[in-house]
Amino acid sequence: MGRYLLRRLTFALITLFAVVTVAFFLARAAPGGPFDGERRLPPEVEANLRAAYDLDKPVVHQYARYLGMLARADLGPSFRHKDFSVNELIGRGLPISVTVGGLALALAVVVGVTAGTFAAMARDRARDRLLVTAATLGLALPPIIVAPLLVLVFAVGLGWFPAGGYDTARSYVLPVIALSLPYAAAFTRLSRGSVAEVLGRAHVLTARAKGMPTWRIVRRHVLPSALIPVVSFLGPAAAALLAGSMVIEEVFSLPGLGRYFVQGALNRDYTLVTGTVIVYAALVLTFNLLADLCYARLDPRIRHA
Amino acid sequence: MLLAGEMLRAICPPAAARVSLALLLVFGTAVHAAELRIGNGGEPLTLDPHRYNLNLEEKILADLFEGLTAHDAHGRIVPGAAMSWTTSVDGLVWTFKLRPDGRWSDGQPVTADDFVFAFRRLLDPKTAASLAFFMYAIEGAAEANAGKIPVEDIAVRALDSHRLEVRLARPFPFFAERLIYPTGFPVPKHVVEKLGDDWVKPGNMASNGAFTLADWQPQGFVRAEKNAHFHAARTVTLDAIRYFPTADRNAAYNRYRNGELDIIGDFPPGEIAWLRREMADHLHISPLLSIMYLVFNVTEPPFDDSRVRRALALAIDRELITGRVLQSAEVPSPTFVPPMVENYRSAVTAVAADTDQAAKLLAEAGYGDDTPLRITLRYIAGADNKKVHVAIAAMWRAIGVQTTLHHAELNAHFAELRQGAFQVAQAGWFGENNPEHYLELLMSTTGDVNYGRFADAETDALMAKAKDAVGLDARLGLLRQAEVAGLSLDPVVPLYAVTIRSLVDPRITGWHPNPRNVHPARYLGVRAAP
Repeated sequence: MGRYLLRRLTFALITLFAVVTVAFFLARAAPGGPFDGERRLPPEVEANLRAAYDLDKPVVHQYARYLGMLARADLGPSFRHKDFSVNELIGRGLPISVTVGGLALALAVVVGVTAGTFAAMARDRARDRLLVTAATLGLALPPIIVAPLLVLVFAVGLGWFPAGGYDTARSYVLPVIALSLPYAAAFTRLSRGSVAEVLGRAHVLTARAKGMPTWRIVRRHVLPSALIPVVSFLGPAAAALLAGSMVIEEVFSLPGLGRYFVQGALNRDYTLVTGTVIVYAALVLTFNLLADLCYARLDPRIRHA
Repeated sequence: MLLAGEMLRAICPPAAARVSLALLLVFGTAVHAAELRIGNGGEPLTLDPHRYNLNLEEKILADLFEGLTAHDAHGRIVPGAAMSWTTSVDGLVWTFKLRPDGRWSDGQPVTADDFVFAFRRLLDPKTAASLAFFMYAIEGAAEANAGKIPVEDIAVRALDSHRLEVRLARPFPFFAERLIYPTGFPVPKHVVEKLGDDWVKPGNMASNGAFTLADWQPQGFVRAEKNAHFHAARTVTLDAIRYFPTADRNAAYNRYRNGELDIIGDFPPGEIAWLRREMADHLHISPLLSIMYLVFNVTEPPFDDSRVRRALALAIDRELITGRVLQSAEVPSPTFVPPMVENYRSAVTAVAADTDQAAKLLAEAGYGDDTPLRITLRYIAGADNKKVHVAIAAMWRAIGVQTTLHHAELNAHFAELRQGAFQVAQAGWFGENNPEHYLELLMSTTGDVNYGRFADAETDALMAKAKDAVGLDARLGLLRQAEVAGLSLDPVVPLYAVTIRSLVDPRITGWHPNPRNVHPARYLGVRAAP
């Protein structure tokens, strides 16, 4: 186990290094530059700006300097947000993305597992078909469609929730729902399959023959083993939720990490876009590692040699 | 994880929370009556007046600071931190008399020294101010900004604590207008010297405008509160303003419709018809001081031939573009200087679209059915822009031109234009009540924002003469001639002045549409809900 962990961590670090390198050079390869604004800059002004951000030095020099800063956990000054460092910006954006992503994941698991279990128990009946259809729809409809629809109906139409911002707890309701829908659908399909499979096993049939109430069978004998695939999907789902919140953050004007990524890319803010990519990559690597470790713990048949 | 806790409470609110929520709903509007919520179109990248670059930053900064001159509620230029000023006969020396009651938000007086300090800081190469060149009109400014002379040698000095003298490099009658930009704002010397770059953070910043910075949550909002030390604080009715970075106009529109914002400066164009019907008292459409145009790259075939440029210009029907394609009150403009520029009457005569003449010119230049002209037209990505340029391509097809459309997002588009990597492209210029501001784009010495690299000796000579003219009338006369000379060679096709579409809650008072689209918050108010 120790050796496995060490190997995985080494690979994670190598991956992260590759991500840093690719992000660093790709950001600089895009046309335009960080100082393109609404107004033109005379050459002497542009020279002043380039000197202030080290852009007048060779790119290799900039890269070495950037790696040096990274080693000190410093993501550098933002090229565009002049009054904040990238660390400050990510420090403010990340908690909001984590809150929305975490709540969406929790909602998706609760709704998905409940619906999946219901569907499996009523297999091929109307209730099952309805739930499966709903889940397919949920998977097929991307948040970029669902989110504005939710805003139109529940904010602009009914006025129940704010259409954006993060002033009150109510502001989080619509973005969390919009973000969780595809994952709730995925969890529904996943748990429906595994619950149905476990329902047909011998120990469940025995329990049923003994006259055990259905809900107790499900709770005691079905769900514990049926949940293994659900848990193993948690890692990738958590990573995807965090990374996938960009659209939701734009639609609901939430100041999360995704907005910095989008704005950073559009504005050629080299340090900001590279910084967010690094944080995303680190999160994805961490969640995948955690999921693999949990998987081994839940299923004794898997051993990490 | 405080937010998560709040979230859970919201989903299953305990009785007490429900009661307080109800109370907030009942009294909420009354409590926040004097806080104005503005959808400001994007995140400010800095609130340092010397490092700013964007129009949306200008809007916030103009509420926080007051320059020597300022805008009134109608966008006219009026005295600001200076009560009055005089200009020497040769137009070079401007002497400003500061208000005796001008104060920073920490109570310190605003002095001529603060302005001297500010101009030096702006032009110091170490500040890396992207718009430092706005002040290049001042003698020594360009040299200091390029690091050739020390900033102490810039021709700005304090005659006494409240009198400031500025010497210009050459006459510039539009200097009072130039001073309304944040690049002309004073900064509090006593705070900046103490805190360095951190002076700009909430809690540190002292400002001399009607409001002062209270809070800034990046990508969340900027909050400004009334400055009790402002010289006209008695007339300011708002207690606070929140500027939201509403970069997505659909999201901004939804938030406005849901009553979360009081003013938004943009909304999806498809909503205009509905808004005209249902929310006419919210809707304001007015022309902006601006010119949208097509620019030809005159350094390469086919557009090094002025007949081809003239032919393509003649094929375009501006009224059709504004009236039928855009349909939101844009002002068609055959002149390069926008029609709403004050004190200026263009001498360029409008020529109606003439496809016969256009086809004839193309034939003369050697293009016809067998050898059609094939070109690429570049435009900035966006629904409105797409419609306009598809229409233009269709007008050119009518004279046998085969146009390939190419779009790119804003930054990439202008990067390509500045490099001259285009044949014909969309461009725009915004801004000033000063014809020179636009006509400079046609000077060969202007650099890469003369995107098409147009160079004409007569235009250059007239512009140079205008820039040395002392009297305003003589200057405007020369500019008029320069515009006629430049446009006779069709380096650009002026199209129209864009419109500003705003939604303003009818409860807001003191909001007046104007071609500069400036609405100083010191004149705004919120009428109590009926």
